[in-house]
Amino acid sequence: MTSLSRREFIKTSIAATTAATAGFTVSQAALAQASAAEAGWKWDKGVCRFCGVGCGEQVATFDGKIVAIKGDPDAPVNRGLNCIKGYFNGRILYGEDRLTRPLMRMKGGKFDKDGDFVPVTWDQALDEIAAQFKRIYKAKGPSAVAMLTSGQSLVSEGYITNKLIKAGFRSNNIDPNARLCMASAVVAFYQCFGVDEPANCYDDFELADTTVLWSNNMAEAHPILWSRVTDHRLADKNSRIINVTTYRNMCSDISDLEIIYKPNTELAILNYIAREMVKRNAVNMDFVNKHCIFATGPVDIGFGMRPTDKFAFPAEKDTLAKQLNYTIDKYEAIAQRRPDMAGKSIEQKDAGRADAHWHITFDEYKRGIEPYTLDFVAELAKGDPSESLDAFKKKLQQLADYYIADKSKKIMSLWCMGVNQHVRGVWVNQQIYALHLLLGKHGTPGNGAFSLTGQPTACGTAREVGTFCHRLPSDMLVANPAHREKTEKIWKLPPKTLNPRVGTALMMALRGLEDGSVNFVWTQTVNLWQSVPNTNHWLKAARNKENFVVVADAYPTLSGKVADVILPAAMIFEKWGMFGNAERRMQCWRQLVNAPGQARPDAWMMLEFAKRFTLKEVWGELPLPGLKVEGFPDDKLPSVLEEAKKMGYNENMTLYEALFATPENKKFKWPDPIAKGTENSIVNLLGDGWFVEKALFEEYRPFTFGGHDLAPFDMYYDDKVRGLRWPIIDGKETKWRFSEGNDPFVKAGEGYNFHGKLLKAIPSGDLDGVKDTTPKPLPGKAKIFFRPYAGYPEKLDKNYDLQLCTGRILEHWHTGSMTRRVPELHRTAPTATLDMNPADAQARGLKHQDLAWVETRRGKIKMIVNTRGRNKMPPGTIWAAFFDEGVQVNQLTLDAADPLSLEPDYKKAAAKVYKA
Amino acid sequence: MSAIDRRQFLIRTAQMAGVAACVAAVWSPLVRGQAHAAAHALRPPGALPEEDFMALCLKCGQCVKACPFKTLKLATVADHAPTGTPYFIARETPCEMCVDVPCVPVCPSGALDRSLTDITKARMGLPVIDREICLSFRGLRCEVCYRVCPVRGKAITLNIVHNEDTNRHARFEPVINSEHCTGCGICEKACPTEESSIRVLRHQFVQGKLGEHYSPSLGEDFKIQDIRQGTDIAKELNPGDKRQAAPGVGYFNQPGGREGIIPGAKP
Repeated sequence: MTSLSRREFIKTSIAATTAATAGFTVSQAALAQASAAEAGWKWDKGVCRFCGVGCGEQVATFDGKIVAIKGDPDAPVNRGLNCIKGYFNGRILYGEDRLTRPLMRMKGGKFDKDGDFVPVTWDQALDEIAAQFKRIYKAKGPSAVAMLTSGQSLVSEGYITNKLIKAGFRSNNIDPNARLCMASAVVAFYQCFGVDEPANCYDDFELADTTVLWSNNMAEAHPILWSRVTDHRLADKNSRIINVTTYRNMCSDISDLEIIYKPNTELAILNYIAREMVKRNAVNMDFVNKHCIFATGPVDIGFGMRPTDKFAFPAEKDTLAKQLNYTIDKYEAIAQRRPDMAGKSIEQKDAGRADAHWHITFDEYKRGIEPYTLDFVAELAKGDPSESLDAFKKKLQQLADYYIADKSKKIMSLWCMGVNQHVRGVWVNQQIYALHLLLGKHGTPGNGAFSLTGQPTACGTAREVGTFCHRLPSDMLVANPAHREKTEKIWKLPPKTLNPRVGTALMMALRGLEDGSVNFVWTQTVNLWQSVPNTNHWLKAARNKENFVVVADAYPTLSGKVADVILPAAMIFEKWGMFGNAERRMQCWRQLVNAPGQARPDAWMMLEFAKRFTLKEVWGELPLPGLKVEGFPDDKLPSVLEEAKKMGYNENMTLYEALFATPENKKFKWPDPIAKGTENSIVNLLGDGWFVEKALFEEYRPFTFGGHDLAPFDMYYDDKVRGLRWPIIDGKETKWRFSEGNDPFVKAGEGYNFHGKLLKAIPSGDLDGVKDTTPKPLPGKAKIFFRPYAGYPEKLDKNYDLQLCTGRILEHWHTGSMTRRVPELHRTAPTATLDMNPADAQARGLKHQDLAWVETRRGKIKMIVNTRGRNKMPPGTIWAAFFDEGVQVNQLTLDAADPLSLEPDYKKAAAKVYKA
Repeated sequence: MSAIDRRQFLIRTAQMAGVAACVAAVWSPLVRGQAHAAAHALRPPGALPEEDFMALCLKCGQCVKACPFKTLKLATVADHAPTGTPYFIARETPCEMCVDVPCVPVCPSGALDRSLTDITKARMGLPVIDREICLSFRGLRCEVCYRVCPVRGKAITLNIVHNEDTNRHARFEPVINSEHCTGCGICEKACPTEESSIRVLRHQFVQGKLGEHYSPSLGEDFKIQDIRQGTDIAKELNPGDKRQAAPGVGYFNQPGGREGIIPGAKP
């Protein structure tokens, strides 16, 4: 050792010792200080703000601030644990740039579309919004206005916004970002079971022998659930995990079998498994005969794109043309039993009736799956060019073996965005249910096909409250006259108040801003101009002169930049709230702190907005061009004012008085003992003394009776309760639905009863179409669908030669508007990089960390190449996350969608990558 | 401040800290900051052992100039690494492990070993994990260090174990493997705890050494057990295989038989 380095060594060791000594002293002091401080802390229960898992948390407040957070040890989902996002849940309220003042584009003291944002008062902002709304509403009617909400909006917020737009403004143009997330799952639930939401629950993760992940990176997207699945794998040495995916992700770390397939070919793999079940006599015929029927639907249904290229960028036109005519390849031709059509263009004639479906026989079903032999499917589906066909075949056989394993083996299939964000997402959902129904292994402990959810209350709010353009609360539908009637009765509306026409789905509303059919959009708890696909169109459309865009959010987002008014919103624990997670568990919290500055809850904004409309402005005759519905005049909504007067309404009443502050609701007085001294900013701001959240929850509850039954408001706030899984019958929650002994709606002796009420009478036919149009009822039965393999519109070519898939990472939530405000989280993943196979990079003269252009027909962005990324891409596929405001991945993605669910496919855009 | 002065200063600070907690609260960040800087004065990839490196380094700054990420800095008097020598602080700017290792070939003296052309062979330091603070050891789903590791799955692996506290979740404990870790420090930078729970130090501060008289019975290849170990999917899935305990058994036990060969048997 030289003298110099010895000196260094001595210095270092002294410094280390010193630090240790000093550190020890400090931590003792800090400890004493901490326990003294903690004495003043007030702990209360809360729920994590982020994903669909629904972890319970304990939140400590002191002096009007959240000072600490911890996983709730009593929460059955997470038992005191959190993921890294949940760990920072309390910090997301305190980003430096929280919005605290309403902002409006102004010039010369007035609103001006070309003006700069200027702070204004709430009254100024809401008055201007109301004036703009009325201008558009009067000229074009209820179809030109839209509210775009979220699977992160509270139950109360969803309920208020839904009621205001549907009952008040008589428009069904409300749609949540759950359209981008769970819509495919919903349509599959409706068509298969006649009722939304999973039959299984999280308890099944500990009970299953085999867990199959279908295109689902659960390790990152559902972190705490993954730790349960993993723990079960550890505890039960005979349990197995299978990862079926288009690229290697973190789930593969502990999976016993990893199957890398080409996009869309899971449609073929699932049919192969079904075919094996039939061939090996593994179908549970007793179950199928008693409880199921077989069904199918049309094939040439397009890809949910616009049928016109009038608004397309020049480069997009060839992709868009496939909405009308699509050329099938040899695999699709064989898979769809029309081998002679290979290479031929096929008119997408059934795009308008994609959701049609009809009864077929078991023999027809068998004829449908017949082409899906091992050889055919393996050749089609193998997704990793470096894997041998034989090795891949073996894996497919093993996958089938796991499904077909003997009756005592329990199997769970799990999926989320990889299946839902898919041009044939509903079909894949249905095929997974088909496997479980063929086996008779669904909705019982440890057995079932379980659709996981992406957002914290996509289930509780968007789906159950029905903040979709086609839904009413608790699985009722806008288009169903009996459902409208029931809703009008509960809401005390004059008959025919509700608009009978399905509204614009989320992508349609944005396309509407572009084509002029929608001119007013108000967004809540969502950053759409970053999160929807193909954003270059909508960024431009928002700025069209005739459009008026309101963005309510807690932080500055890209969406705010293209808005006309920005409203500062209160967040999570700054308001009374309730979320519903993926296992039907509704959980709640009290308002624990006040929002900063003038930030206010979305529910208050809606209620204040409602005060700016009188009944005569909205319940009179309204234009609705194109309306042709039995019982309604053509092209308009009738005036219901006369009927309203008979019911005791006065035409000068505001919507606030007529819909919300009703005499019944005002009976729920604030303060309420369950508040335990906490605040309620909505009540304080309204100043008329009624407990908004409780009153409206109790108004909503009767909708849920008969299948979706929720407990009384106060029960959720009980100190001992950590959420309850509905339906709640006689105070008891329900873990599994449809099976006897588990589901309170299944009678003794029935064994099973698929008691969902929707779409329970369908015509009959064969694989090619309807033969008998008489609706045949199927009470108590589930549908096993045959769905063929089909491709996607934007195939790779010489120019765009890489498949771009997008998704989430564990460290960030959605568009990063909250998680990127926490410096520690930002540090973990400061930018979205392009995960790429090293060989693909090399072939383009790129290496790890190089800056590259990523270009599709819709736009190009710069990204940092990452050949060492968390996801290991097979050659030909690239991957990017969408959390990074600086890397607008959705300027690249294609807005093709599942034609049944209108949910966009974020996973398949053709891209090229070259050096920047 | 001379080295001796500083030493006395540090000792005095420590004594003061022992006496009055509030004074320590003021001074200790400085003390700890200095200790931190010293241990974190990591050398560029390919740096020879410290003694040789110091003997050869010309303090010319060529490697610093070549670093595209501004990771490398030349130490100033205040920096606690010998003045003029190149170093980096992982928590601030870690080594991004450039594929072409641009900092090494420009070294005129050989203080950075030119035979290093594969960056995964660099050994700049070795991380230590504070298991008491590390969120993953506490059962939280963090593992940020694992996911950002450029040699993920080798340099950092996850030891997945049952969490006794909840009895329902797994813990994903990060484990450092010196065989593969380059000491780039990307993990230290990314760690989300207030002070990083994973810190890269020079090997000399981290690594122990066994006495040469002893040969460990577990061998150098002792690895964390993969929970999938011993799983033979093909075997467990095919009960037919199980029955093939002796040649012919599988065939004889197959239900039915070929048409016409066994009259009356179902095919």
